[in-house]
Amino acid sequence: MSPRSHQFERYGLLIAFGCISAATLLFLPGRGYFGKGQWALLYLLIIGLVAGMSGARAALAAAVLAFLAWDFFFLPPYNTLWITDPKDWLALLVFLIVGVLIGVQTGRMRDRESQALARERETGLLNRLSTSLVSITGTLVMAETLFMEITQITRTREISLWLSDAAGGVALYYRKAMAECPPNPHAATIANWVFQQSKAVGLPPVPEFSAIHTEGWPVSVPHNSIVADVQHDDIYLPLQTTTHREGVLQIGACASGEFSAYEAQQLITSANLVAVFLERQRLQAAAGKAESLQEADRLKTTLVSSISHELKTPLAAITATVTNLLAEDVHWDVTQMADELRCIQTDLDRLHASIGALLDFARLEGANWQPQRDWYDWDDVLGVTLEKLRDVERARLTFSLPDDLPALYIDCQQMARALQHLLENAFIYAPGDTPIRLGGSSTARETRFWVEDSGPGVPPEERQLIFEKFYRGATAGASPAGTGLGLTIAAEIVRYHQGRLWVEEVHPHGARFVIALPQENSNGYETKPQRHEGTKAQRHNNS
Amino acid sequence: MTAPEPSANILIVDDEEQIRRALNSIFTARKYGVRLAANGEEALNLAIARPPDLVILDLTMPGMNGLEVCRELRTWYSGPILILSVRGGETDKVAALDLGADDYLTKPFATNELLARVRALLRRAAMRVAPPPLIHAGELEINLAQRLVTCHGEPVSLTPTEYDILAYLVQNANCVVTTPMLLEQVWGADPGDDTQSLRSHIAHLRKKIEPEPRAPRYLITEPCIGFRFRLPEGESGE
Repeated sequence: MSPRSHQFERYGLLIAFGCISAATLLFLPGRGYFGKGQWALLYLLIIGLVAGMSGARAALAAAVLAFLAWDFFFLPPYNTLWITDPKDWLALLVFLIVGVLIGVQTGRMRDRESQALARERETGLLNRLSTSLVSITGTLVMAETLFMEITQITRTREISLWLSDAAGGVALYYRKAMAECPPNPHAATIANWVFQQSKAVGLPPVPEFSAIHTEGWPVSVPHNSIVADVQHDDIYLPLQTTTHREGVLQIGACASGEFSAYEAQQLITSANLVAVFLERQRLQAAAGKAESLQEADRLKTTLVSSISHELKTPLAAITATVTNLLAEDVHWDVTQMADELRCIQTDLDRLHASIGALLDFARLEGANWQPQRDWYDWDDVLGVTLEKLRDVERARLTFSLPDDLPALYIDCQQMARALQHLLENAFIYAPGDTPIRLGGSSTARETRFWVEDSGPGVPPEERQLIFEKFYRGATAGASPAGTGLGLTIAAEIVRYHQGRLWVEEVHPHGARFVIALPQENSNGYETKPQRHEGTKAQRHNNS
Repeated sequence: MTAPEPSANILIVDDEEQIRRALNSIFTARKYGVRLAANGEEALNLAIARPPDLVILDLTMPGMNGLEVCRELRTWYSGPILILSVRGGETDKVAALDLGADDYLTKPFATNELLARVRALLRRAAMRVAPPPLIHAGELEINLAQRLVTCHGEPVSLTPTEYDILAYLVQNANCVVTTPMLLEQVWGADPGDDTQSLRSHIAHLRKKIEPEPRAPRYLITEPCIGFRFRLPEGESGE
């Protein structure tokens, strides 16, 4: 309840006395002008006023006082309680009854109204607190919200949140106090005691006829049972759920007096909400950890099986071929040997590519890799990538790149690898000697490069999946070479450059893989003016 | 195929026996003289006893590693050094080139690539003594004496800077040319950090001499290091 109405209630009797006296003094001068009955009505007004201000008890007192005052001052004979007119007895009686009724009813209504308001504010606090605890994800923000709400509804001036630490006790996590609040030197001792014992400290006693239900209240002991000769007004509440102790909440009123039982009720409710919040945080963290462990495990298993498959297969082929060549029961002529050795070379290439892909993948997954960026043109990237192709592969490529592509701020080596994976993909899935087109374009916002083939294309349902780790196309037919990591690695490299990689449909059939790099990575080409008056050779020639 | 230098003497430094065996086999089959060293100290001793024409140096050696050997060698040895690096060892590669190595090769490598680099390095060493006036590269002909470039017989118009860049790269054909080296050669002492301008010139050069400028075949960028003019095997400077 607001401090003001609290005051009015406390001093109700005084107010009643004061009002009646003031009214009497006001009325006395006019005693001769009005009939005795009118004063009763006026007194009833005053009683109603007192009831509205201070509640039923004060109104009761006011009614009695008014009754006496009316009798004493306004019913003849004046200044005595005796009355001469017997009809006045009835009037007095009725006045008393009516006065009491009005006072008490009005007072009760006022009491109920103020209780309703208090309930409303309390509910409002709980609503806001629980709403914010549901949506808040950080303990610090929760503590700030708690401080904000609690100080509005109770006389709280400081709160301290103690959370369980590694040593089995609690350590101070958060403290916020209004300016005039000095810290309590015994706080740590008491907080740890509260945590160990799961009991509260400093809860106020609950008056007998109050409406507060104390079944949910923790057992409470006074301060000086823990630290001798210390009495403080702080309340310490254990924060615990059914299964776990989360910490301790310490609330202080500083100089603004002791907490009432009513306020204590609200503090306990808030503490319960905080405990649930903390438990949720803890469980969420545990769940997250378990999930990522599971994911790491799954990845490891897949990686191991992929490595084992990708490396064993070419090795098996090579072993078979070599032992075959060395076998004593077959005679190989030079041409046949050369053929077999060429097969071994192909297998070795595949082995090399697989190991490279797995190493790239491991490095990218480790997230330690930082791109080493500098300014390059796409021509540079193409030069590096195409060098590694065999002539027959290179012959299949056609280029449609505009002249004015901006320079790019990229890791050339890595981008070349990404492009290499896209090309390998195209060579695997697009048959024979169908052309593979490399193109590019640029707009104000981004620069794009693509690799387009006339193969079977990628069905719509697979267009996201193909970038997943270890995914091999469903339309692969005979199992193609590869770890299933190529596109994953390419996508990751592009992502590190704040770009995007996706696949589009081509008509009549085929796939176009597009890399888009944001324009912040690029710069218009400016030919800077030459810094020196010509090159060294020119200067030498001119001299 | 150009004839190898029959008397060229190669010092191979690698801690792994398989690599030494394989390299020995490759070079002795082609009549090169080969000496093998299993570690840095042995390499330096052999080099001092009889200076080789070329050193092949593995970077990833335990003990005295390739970078230290390179640094030591360069205090007195002026012949070509080819380093062997591993995939992902970019920083070591750049460090070695800064310390004076001439070129690099990433393991695993194909024999023809190794031989191409070795031949290029030996040829360049020879050319320093007697630079040839005319160089053929595919459809290009570069006349160093007259500062003329023709492509398919048609003269190509190059700015003086573009010519200087091209000439330098071609004289070091098939060898890597680091960006600082190129900047210093073309713009003189204290070239500053004008790599953007250099790239611009390279782009113009590609447009003029490459059959497919967007997919360069001759003027290749070596990321983080510099450039290389690729001369297909069979072409030569006379």
